[in-house]
Amino acid sequence: MKRRDFIQYSSASFFLPLILDGFGAKAHTQATTPFMQTMLEAAGANDNILVVIQLSGGNDGLNTVIPLDQYSTYSSASFRGNIAISESKILKLNGTPQTGLHPSMTGLQRLYNEGKLSIVHSAGYPNPNFSHFRASDIWFTAVDSDKLATSGWLGRYVNDRYPNFPDNYPNTANPDPLAIQISSISSTVFNTASITSAVAIQDPDTFAKIVGDKPNISTSPLPNTVGGKYTSFIRQQQTSSFAYAGQLKTAAGLGKNLVSYPSNNSLADQLKIVSRLIHGGLQTKIYYVTLGGFDTHSDQVSATDTSTGTHATLMQRLSEGITAFMDDLKAQGTQDRVVGMTFSEFGRRAVSNGSKGTDHGWASPMFVFGNAVKTQVIGKNPDLKVLKDNNITLQTDFREVYAAILRDWMGASETSVKSILLDKTFTPSPIFKNTNVLANEKEIPLTDLNIFPNPAQIETTISSGAFAKHNVDLTVTDVYGRVLNTNAIRLSQTEIKLNVSNIPEGKYFVKVDTGSEPLVKALMVLR
Amino acid sequence: MALIDAYTQNLTARQVSHLLRRATFGGTPAQVKELTGKKAEFIVQKLLAVQPTPSDPTDENQKTFHDLVWGGTGTNDTERNAFDGVRRGRLKLWWIGLMITQPVSLLEKTTLFWQNHFVSTSTDVSDVRFLYRQNQLLRKYALGNFRDFVIEITKDPAMLLYLNGASNVVGKPNENYARELMELFTIGRGNYTEDDVKAAARVLTGWRSLNFRSITDKTIGFEFRPAQHDTADKIFSDSYQKRTIKGRTGTTAGDDELKDLIDMILAQPETARFIVRKFYRWFVQADISDQIEKEFIEPLAAIFRKNYDIKITLQTLFNSQHFYDETLYGSQIKSPMDLVVGTLRRFNYVLPDPVKDRTKYDTATNYFYARNREQQMDIIDQPSVFGWRPYYDTDFYEIWINSTTLALRGAWTDYVVKGATGTALDINALGLPLQTSDPTDPYKMVRELTDTVFSFPLTDEQVKYLVEQPLMAGSPYYEWTSIWNDYTKTPNDAVKKNAAKTHLDRLMTFVLRLAEYQMG
Repeated sequence: MKRRDFIQYSSASFFLPLILDGFGAKAHTQATTPFMQTMLEAAGANDNILVVIQLSGGNDGLNTVIPLDQYSTYSSASFRGNIAISESKILKLNGTPQTGLHPSMTGLQRLYNEGKLSIVHSAGYPNPNFSHFRASDIWFTAVDSDKLATSGWLGRYVNDRYPNFPDNYPNTANPDPLAIQISSISSTVFNTASITSAVAIQDPDTFAKIVGDKPNISTSPLPNTVGGKYTSFIRQQQTSSFAYAGQLKTAAGLGKNLVSYPSNNSLADQLKIVSRLIHGGLQTKIYYVTLGGFDTHSDQVSATDTSTGTHATLMQRLSEGITAFMDDLKAQGTQDRVVGMTFSEFGRRAVSNGSKGTDHGWASPMFVFGNAVKTQVIGKNPDLKVLKDNNITLQTDFREVYAAILRDWMGASETSVKSILLDKTFTPSPIFKNTNVLANEKEIPLTDLNIFPNPAQIETTISSGAFAKHNVDLTVTDVYGRVLNTNAIRLSQTEIKLNVSNIPEGKYFVKVDTGSEPLVKALMVLR
Repeated sequence: MALIDAYTQNLTARQVSHLLRRATFGGTPAQVKELTGKKAEFIVQKLLAVQPTPSDPTDENQKTFHDLVWGGTGTNDTERNAFDGVRRGRLKLWWIGLMITQPVSLLEKTTLFWQNHFVSTSTDVSDVRFLYRQNQLLRKYALGNFRDFVIEITKDPAMLLYLNGASNVVGKPNENYARELMELFTIGRGNYTEDDVKAAARVLTGWRSLNFRSITDKTIGFEFRPAQHDTADKIFSDSYQKRTIKGRTGTTAGDDELKDLIDMILAQPETARFIVRKFYRWFVQADISDQIEKEFIEPLAAIFRKNYDIKITLQTLFNSQHFYDETLYGSQIKSPMDLVVGTLRRFNYVLPDPVKDRTKYDTATNYFYARNREQQMDIIDQPSVFGWRPYYDTDFYEIWINSTTLALRGAWTDYVVKGATGTALDINALGLPLQTSDPTDPYKMVRELTDTVFSFPLTDEQVKYLVEQPLMAGSPYYEWTSIWNDYTKTPNDAVKKNAAKTHLDRLMTFVLRLAEYQMG
């Protein structure tokens, strides 16, 4: 029996009450969750979350991330003078004077300057395809452009991490959808060999209501025909919808948005739901949202001001949507657990057409955002003098970004990454300098912070010389970053006593904020 | 016996239902009854008969609006667009009304096929006059000649706007239409090069639409501007046998070169195959095996290629032995339109008259439209130029179904059984047993009723469950006989009537939520 199997099968015996600060029923009913998560982590996984933003239609990368070092080429009449953004309006990036952002993206500018945004220049794949459908399919499936695949890269990730999916899902260890798409149509990106691995929802508040209060699923044998096969597929969907409806309803009820989101912004609307579900304690690993309208063959800029118009509106929605989402995560204290990425099926032609638009092109930038981002620029500005058929050439294969996300963020092993990427080896882009979870990343091996006993049963004592020198702010959080009540009592100048009798077995983090660098150390509770 | 040969037996009720589910949005009980026992050839003739032109869409005051200036009483473009948005909505409702009230005719289902083939959307073409004009074109050629159809749609003012043909000019070509013409409208991906796209774009330079969003001109149209046309020769790749389309000048240059271009594309055998496969996925099933490709698609494509006659091609398809292969009953997942309109038709819904009962007509069509839209089938508003994903993407029809849409489908059928005065919807559950041979026998009644609802029969075990649980809710099955007899003896006794209705409503709600009901 594999270690992970053992953990899941044993879960029933770990059922304990749990008191969490500010969080209600969802966490209560899944009392074993932090412990389970800790043990799963020990078995090689983590509880990090990925948010994928698809920019559908082919984004004009050259008006998104603008090469200021080649401004005269960029803005020349024979290049894209009719849609070029005027130099003074382009947003500057701290420490990166050669590159600027579209004027509508003040939010992403801020994230960049705070070190939370990574720009991957000229991403794509060799032998580009210019059909929306085929190009999207290549990004969804991560296949070479001359091959075909029917499963999606995120579907294969789910299958790798949860090998038996969809059999017996949901279950005690994984009561929540493994992936959620905020949409009414599920994307190929989540296809597994059998069924989609994502639950598509439009509105978590009404979802349970329309699913109905009774399952209505027949188990009668079906004819061995196409119709029989489809009926079986729908029965499977009925089963999982029903099984997940309650979880979604609970999470939606518990989660709150703690900041306001921009209106008239479909991306913000979707991310607002994602944030609420994360806050509500859903264990879902992957969220997928879409912003459409990027197929700007004509009039992508307004006639009077190239920094406004269709594309500017899209840039604004993208930037404001992501920024509000990040602010919300920060307010809920989950920002360390979430990373997002954007992609579009292709960039657009570097040279504009005569109708203030751009035709289908090749490479374009991707964004990766989150506190975990370490390297902020991958590659360099595209060289506008070296085009292929008026297209920006490739620097980073998009699968190098996928590999980075899979290995360095989701915690997949090298072997898994290779198999998820269809048995091809891609060197992960160095987007996340360090690997893995907040735990490993934030933990400072401090001899100055001692916890004894550790593992603890009922009480434990934290001691540090630092306590004497500073104002001390001590918090205990679970692996989700939720703060727990431990009745901290100051015993002496250098000692603080915690009562852990009310919190379940599992892994926690003791954070001591002394005004300078916070000290963090892992605390195990075992009985 | 080849798959494409004609099926010559008289059709059973199940076969007639199958044919009407595919060729229309589903038959009414009366239509199924009337056509049972007839031959496929006879019914298909009926399906292909020329239909009268429907009356123009109107507003709530019965006034037409396709013949007015854009924007109604709006005083600025935002207001005008909002005004036109309402009209664009009315166009959709008008079309849904036609689908609900359709006779035994292929016209509506085929017109929708073409609207999903030559996509233009009301989101992008924000002038109802253009959309209505295109809809009339789709109707005109739906069962006509494909060659003429492609030529006309290329110049169609809505299409010129939707795929930027109107901004495709010499020196600065816009490739959008040229690419989709090849990739989606005719030959399909993989059968042309990027250079062919560029050459075709140059052939198509010079056209533009007229009076889009004009607040002074009531008539719309298109024109060819010789000065904006690329007069040089256009050379195509090996995919087109290195054909050169001679550059022309003058007022006829656009038409002459367009004709050459379409002839060149339609001369390639792959074009007929591409379109016939698309017919197959719309009318028959998604999965095209090697055998079906060889024994059905290929011969049907050969027929199509002769004159590109759509009518003869579909006639052959619906008459074929393959179409009546029993294993293909229920081989589609119903589209939202099949589910919404088909359910209404199965239960004899009468759409309120648009002239005599306007308010109800508006409420009803609007409600049904909203159901289609939330289930992701917004007519004249496909998510992209590819049309609805279930007709081309991996997994095909399964894409219609996910947690949300499946739940919405269930909510829709619940609503149908419940009924509503606003939409004048009432399935008359008490009348349903009368459609069976013995309403007093619950097993017979449920068996016969479900046989007319599902595309393939339920198992005996399922029928037994339906009787015991949703119909009788655990009471002994034989009590149904007295419940039914009590009601029929004293139909005005409210208590007895209600007892029978409650049982039947519960049954029908459950039946329509079964996964089997989603099979088309």
